[in-house]
Amino acid sequence: MLATLVVLVAALVFPRFEGANTTVMGLASEALTYGLVTMSLNLLMGYGGQVSVGQGGFLAVGAYTTAIVATHFGGLPFIVVLALAGLVTAGVGLVLGLPARRLRGHYLAVATLGFGLAVPEIALNGGSLTGGYTGLIVPPQSLGPVMLNNPVPLYYLALAVLLVSAVAIRSVLASPTGRRFMAVRDSQDTAPAMGINTGRTKVVLFTLSAFFCGLAGYLFALNNSIVEYSSFDFSLSLFFFAAVIVGGLGSMWGSLIGAALLVVIQQEAVSLGGFSEAILGVAVVIVLLLVPGGLAAVARRTRDAIAGLRVARRPAAAGPGGGGLPGKPSAPSSPAGASREG
Amino acid sequence: MTEFAQLVVSALGFGGIYALAALGLNIIFKTSNVVNFAYGAMATVVALLVWTAHTSLGLPTAAAWILAILGGAVIGGATEGGFMRRVEGTPPIVSIVMTIGLLLLVEGLAGVIWGYGPKTVPTVISGPSITIGQVSVDRNDLFVAALAVAVTLALQLFYQRTRLGLAVRAVAEDPEVASLMGVSRRRVLALSWAVGVALTGVAATLAAPAVSLTPTMMDDIAVFAFAGAVLGGLGSITGALVGGFAVGILSDLIAGYVSTNLQLTVVFALIVAVLYLRPQGLFGQAAQVRQ
Repeated sequence: MLATLVVLVAALVFPRFEGANTTVMGLASEALTYGLVTMSLNLLMGYGGQVSVGQGGFLAVGAYTTAIVATHFGGLPFIVVLALAGLVTAGVGLVLGLPARRLRGHYLAVATLGFGLAVPEIALNGGSLTGGYTGLIVPPQSLGPVMLNNPVPLYYLALAVLLVSAVAIRSVLASPTGRRFMAVRDSQDTAPAMGINTGRTKVVLFTLSAFFCGLAGYLFALNNSIVEYSSFDFSLSLFFFAAVIVGGLGSMWGSLIGAALLVVIQQEAVSLGGFSEAILGVAVVIVLLLVPGGLAAVARRTRDAIAGLRVARRPAAAGPGGGGLPGKPSAPSSPAGASREG
Repeated sequence: MTEFAQLVVSALGFGGIYALAALGLNIIFKTSNVVNFAYGAMATVVALLVWTAHTSLGLPTAAAWILAILGGAVIGGATEGGFMRRVEGTPPIVSIVMTIGLLLLVEGLAGVIWGYGPKTVPTVISGPSITIGQVSVDRNDLFVAALAVAVTLALQLFYQRTRLGLAVRAVAEDPEVASLMGVSRRRVLALSWAVGVALTGVAATLAAPAVSLTPTMMDDIAVFAFAGAVLGGLGSITGALVGGFAVGILSDLIAGYVSTNLQLTVVFALIVAVLYLRPQGLFGQAAQVRQ
């Protein structure tokens, strides 16, 4: 609780120090935007157990919706455009969720990979609606006299959207719907035995995840001031995927840390070259093999060690459904039984 | 009609490439139940090895190919022994995360080693096109298609007629019983990964002359082989051949009659349609889908 408060206060006063530096403010808004994307992906993967290798596709739908609506209906209040970005993307999530009802594991991953590649291509073919190769310039958005496209207002808007979304996701996870997500994640075979409609649960999950990612699309569009198909290439989806894993599946804080790291790595990509991608890859593999739960688990362990609570704390302290990647059910040396799982 | 025939024939090259890559994917999936999402980057490394051996070291083409294919086999074996083995028996999400981590790692390292400047490798066969009636056939395309068919036949013979092939099928069928019968599951898995990655490497090297050879070359192409493998049925050898060619022909027809910028979309729609209507694909076994 204290940590949350400290981070929040730091985030609120941040523009006091860096407000004049448009580059830094832009990056900070980008981190918040990516944070919302990784949270939405974490909702899907960490709490719902459904894989998406194409989350960039949802981001693109939200961003294009923002640009199109703001271009054609200039008079709409920003909140309506923001809501539309979320709702249209949610609609796409629902449509993608329908076939996903019947898909699991690798099959679902292949399908979402195709989705992530298809969305930018569809945008490319959208003619004057999406601007084709050149893309769309995002018209300014305002709240009364405040221009939301300006760096500092955009930062606060991103912070507000992220906070509201985080609270909303937390309350969903605490509700029966959230428990259904986790039940489906933990076993798609026993969930129906408990009276859970796994198909409907997955559709709801995809729709919700897409909604929040669509909101991030609005912020993305404003921050980039232009929406073009090339912003949403395959590697972006992979980077989001890696950020969620490195941050820690099933940890909201972890997603934010992962997103911030992603912004730093992307920023240094010019000097790092291929290393930026390789670092993310190594981080994913290390998390998988050595620190299930990602950076969030490392932070938690460090904190517990400092507080001397290491022994007293039960693993359940990770929060609703936290705890990272599912582990091995049996010893690795038993070759046979193991392969039947999953 | 001529246009249609020409479009279908022109798809022989990329159809064969998708088929070879899908074969590589399915060989791995058959025994390990893992879709190798990292294959695009690993296969590109094989193509880059061909470039290095041929252009930098000045080796003859055949020697360059053999070296690179061996390199691909080593990458595949190392992936199984070093990484996939450690996450065996976990839910599919873990192996998906692992292969995607490896995708980022290998693609990034390839960028570090080879840089992002486009490179060229020659086609295997050159020479004027063969004209049959009003349809012209590229010699290299014909070679690629024939290679895909030959590899499929060879694999079928291997699975059906050899002791090792029998062992592989036994592991795919029932790992527990196979190990009771004295089959080394570890060796079969390492072999599958080695052959699988080497084959996708061949596919990438064959694709390289048509696109520019860079570490990210397969980012947009890889999905076509996933689609081919899914259409034919994950884990099916014949399915990979049929699925690969079907995806190649379909995307060629779309490019010819509709738009060159819709292929990914159509392939995505195809994947979703197949997975929704017939998740086991054309030749797969229904039981495998329950994974």
